[in-house]
Amino acid sequence: MRITIFIFLAGALIAQAAETVSFSKSLYPVFEAAACRSCHNTEGVASGTKLQFPEQNASAEHIEAFGKSLVTLINSNAVDESLLLKKPTNRIAHAGGERIHPGSREEAALKAWIQRLTALKGEELAKALRYREEEAKQGGSVPDVAVRRLTHSQYNNTVRDLLGDRTAPATQFPAEDFVNGFKNQYQAQNLSPLLVEAYGTAAERLARNAFRPGSSSGLLTCKPSAACRAQFIRSFGLKAFRRPLEPAELKRYEALFAKEKDFTSGARLVVEAMLQSPHFLFRLEETNNPRWKPYARASRLSYALWDTTPDDTLLASAKQGELDTPEGVEKAARRMLDNPKAKQALDEFISQWMRFDRVLTSTKDRRRFPQYTRETATAMTEETRRFISDLIWREQDFTKLFTAEYGYVNADLANIYGVPAPATEFTKVDFPADSERAGLLGQALFLALSSRPDETSPTSRGLFIREQFLCQHVADPPPGVNTNLPPVSEAKPQTNRQRLAEHTLNKSCAGCHNLIDPIGFGFEKFDAIGGRRAKMQLRFYGERKDRETPPKMVDLDLDTTGFVAGIEKSNFTSPKELGAVLARSPQCQECVVKQYFRYTAGRTETLGDRPLIRKVAEDFRRSNFRFKELIISMVRSREFPGEGGPVRVAGNH
Amino acid sequence: MSQVITKRARVSRRAFLKGVTLTGTAIQVGLPPLVSMFNSQGTAYAAGSNAAGKVAEKAIESRFVFWFNGNGIPERYWIPSRTGRDFDLPPCLSPVASFRNDIHVLTGLDNSAASVPGPGNGHHKSISGVTTATPFTGHGAGGPSIDQVIASKIGTESRFRSLQIGVSQESFGESIQRNMSWAGYNRPLPPEMLPHKLFDRLFGEREEGWVNRKRSILDTVRADALYFKTVLPKDDATRLDEHLSAIRDIERAITGLPDNYRRVEAPEYDGDMKDWPRIAKLQSDLLAQALVTRQTRVASYMLTKGQGLSRFPWLGLTAARHHDYTHADGRAPGADGADGQRVLRDICRWHVEEFAYLLAKLRSIPEGDGTVLDRTCLVYVHEHAEANPHKNSGLAMIVAGHAGRLATGMHSKVTGTVGDLYVTVADDVLNAGIGKFPTATRKISEILA
Repeated sequence: MRITIFIFLAGALIAQAAETVSFSKSLYPVFEAAACRSCHNTEGVASGTKLQFPEQNASAEHIEAFGKSLVTLINSNAVDESLLLKKPTNRIAHAGGERIHPGSREEAALKAWIQRLTALKGEELAKALRYREEEAKQGGSVPDVAVRRLTHSQYNNTVRDLLGDRTAPATQFPAEDFVNGFKNQYQAQNLSPLLVEAYGTAAERLARNAFRPGSSSGLLTCKPSAACRAQFIRSFGLKAFRRPLEPAELKRYEALFAKEKDFTSGARLVVEAMLQSPHFLFRLEETNNPRWKPYARASRLSYALWDTTPDDTLLASAKQGELDTPEGVEKAARRMLDNPKAKQALDEFISQWMRFDRVLTSTKDRRRFPQYTRETATAMTEETRRFISDLIWREQDFTKLFTAEYGYVNADLANIYGVPAPATEFTKVDFPADSERAGLLGQALFLALSSRPDETSPTSRGLFIREQFLCQHVADPPPGVNTNLPPVSEAKPQTNRQRLAEHTLNKSCAGCHNLIDPIGFGFEKFDAIGGRRAKMQLRFYGERKDRETPPKMVDLDLDTTGFVAGIEKSNFTSPKELGAVLARSPQCQECVVKQYFRYTAGRTETLGDRPLIRKVAEDFRRSNFRFKELIISMVRSREFPGEGGPVRVAGNH
Repeated sequence: MSQVITKRARVSRRAFLKGVTLTGTAIQVGLPPLVSMFNSQGTAYAAGSNAAGKVAEKAIESRFVFWFNGNGIPERYWIPSRTGRDFDLPPCLSPVASFRNDIHVLTGLDNSAASVPGPGNGHHKSISGVTTATPFTGHGAGGPSIDQVIASKIGTESRFRSLQIGVSQESFGESIQRNMSWAGYNRPLPPEMLPHKLFDRLFGEREEGWVNRKRSILDTVRADALYFKTVLPKDDATRLDEHLSAIRDIERAITGLPDNYRRVEAPEYDGDMKDWPRIAKLQSDLLAQALVTRQTRVASYMLTKGQGLSRFPWLGLTAARHHDYTHADGRAPGADGADGQRVLRDICRWHVEEFAYLLAKLRSIPEGDGTVLDRTCLVYVHEHAEANPHKNSGLAMIVAGHAGRLATGMHSKVTGTVGDLYVTVADDVLNAGIGKFPTATRKISEILA
């Protein structure tokens, strides 16, 4: 990712030249290693504090200026009393716990920098104090991402639309990783040799199938001739590369075609090669080539809204300049949202945002949950998919995501929810009034994916809500900490809440766990597969050899009061109550926008994206939370940032 | 192999070679070590002749296999109590009893990169550290893994610079848990986990004219990529470079494919793909064939994933998962306290069993005056030492084979880092000449004869 470097605080730069101590070299790596930025950033859980780190990939000048701005956190008369020293070492209560160990080399670096800050004076000091204003004025930068690799899902959809091939070859490719919560993030789009080899193997098979007698691809429509050859290459090239071929490319592929004596074999060779070309595997996100610009836009729209290649209509619109205005883009986008491909594309987004993979690959203790099978797990994802899909496409208020008092139930789920099994699978069923279920958080999917095999995990549930619905990243445990809790024994049976109290007794754990565990405590009425429970049941099994004796069971009373630190009046005791809190939380509403942004842009938002996020969030609110309007606003704002979107820093390509 | 030596014909290896690399060097591929190709002592490839005349005899190359298991071990059931030649074999090591003269049990090394403060949990850090000796970046490993550094030195003339082979197809985790080989910073190299796909890469049959077709395609694709690169900003162009370098790798793999080469039987495709002991053995068979046919000199073998969550029905362990057993925290039924340790012992013994299978395979294939194991060095690592605390110091490893100056038949307790060991293996055992590796400051001379 490239960030255009801007001259940041020229004054500080000059002072820097005179001064040999470099913050970015001496202390900043210490802070990075201690993961300070993961909470102390503009969106993090510590965004309300006096300390906010520059975004990742900030320029060296920016980081130096930030280092000097820390002067507001020191006490020059008694340096050891400085907040900058006492907070990270947890000498005074730090929500993030002890991130820098007293007496360590890291602390020495911190002290040295504090000493350096005490020497700031005159204009240098004044500049340091103006840091926040100056930073805000700069507005931050937006990374330029020029190409993105087709995701596996996009690859499958693209070959389906290009060749009529529904074999989904990409399901055999090496798996994609979740980064920033999604599988399509630019920074994780590596090309391993195994993947490139897989592209080659897939292309070979796809091309062979496309020219088999009786194939439905209909690629060759003219009688063999030089003109037919050129026509074929031009028309298939336009679809495969999602833009017209350059003359040199046409020539290159004609030469390749001609290597085969047989006409169909030549065409097959061209298809096989194009399916491995970077022009097919990568899609242009940005380009300076004026001929390609409208087509790059068509691709952006198409992959964002359909998760597949542009259709003929969209390519024609690009050619005719119909996508050159905000109105034109909106018109095209609305047409596209009416196509079933849009629904399928959003299903992919939902499955990643809601981490369907986590429940599909989870296992549960068969002795406790004999009813949990692969079919049950699939049913859980299907319920959530239908639920969210209906909110989107029936144009409901999307905050019902957290408040809807119904689910989509089949026989497996009816069993878990304790409702009669419906006559047809996945019927919309109202939750019983006393179930205290509402929205997604009351559904089996969320409750199961955030649990362990035999018990719930309040920590995992709290973390999922922080990350997926509040867009707050909670730092990993500090290094070297044993994250295991003491075992529960028959002699000392404990509820999860009692057991997790260990987290808050230990100062290095308390900081972060106070942010997440109390959220999970509010869900304790629901077991590890989402069933309702009145008490928590512990089971103590005998020796492994002894399978005959039933386990000893201990029932414990539950305290399900929870709260979300950082959100006012957020005390709750059930998913239904928390759902109401989240539905009205602006932070949660904006997080929905951010998640969709991350998925669409293929990267996490930066300071420079904030105006765009705010604008889309505002449009979303104004539409009474119609997700379709969020999509339209996102697409329009990304294409025409001038319309109140971000001030994009000019790229040179 | 039962060739009758007296009937030996002087067949030049070069006679079988089909392609040359872009740099014009001959590729060494695809032929089992026919006795006819060795000199009369069986220590080097027989001299052949080329256009320039006589070619000097060439020593048989050594190979490197890097083997990984997720999660740690129960030290009390794994680490021998006695050092030296008289070392004992605790329960976990019992499967290598008949290989005690082919292995060097090495304990005491530290995974120091895993202790550097930074992002990630105890598993992320350990996996990154033990494979690459660099800290976890937040997304992946911080540098190339040792197999890749070695491959960049000794693998460049093989059909495959290196192979990544896996067994457990568990989908849990992110790239750091699923990959033991890393091309560089945040660049995972995923393992091939399906035996029939691995077979196809190594020995698959190709249609008539396949090599030429593939080459024409790759030429076109390369021209596309070079053009694309010129219109992209620098960082994106790096991605195109990755593509170009992968194309070069594939080209070598394609041009190195000999015609009608089908000496190896395809594995049975059907069968339970979750039966990992079966998959593990199929993959070991294929790995042995890949080494013996000189398709590669470097491989990584990932039996189970980092922080692995598999169940082990073949061990009778279905109530909880691997990782549950490592933390005796009482959550997993049957995984608490001493019982958890005993279960972990059985799991780790199975790991060693599969490692022993590969050793047996390599020892069973004659090559020159010895066996394939005589010219191979294997390094077997776990994610952690003691599993429960994610311990990163005092790791327990096995270095096996007889390549180079490797001393075997003993247990040594040493001090140093995994980086120290890797440089020693790379430079003093394999003569790869890597010179340095992160965290390495000294040689582990105990493993050298």
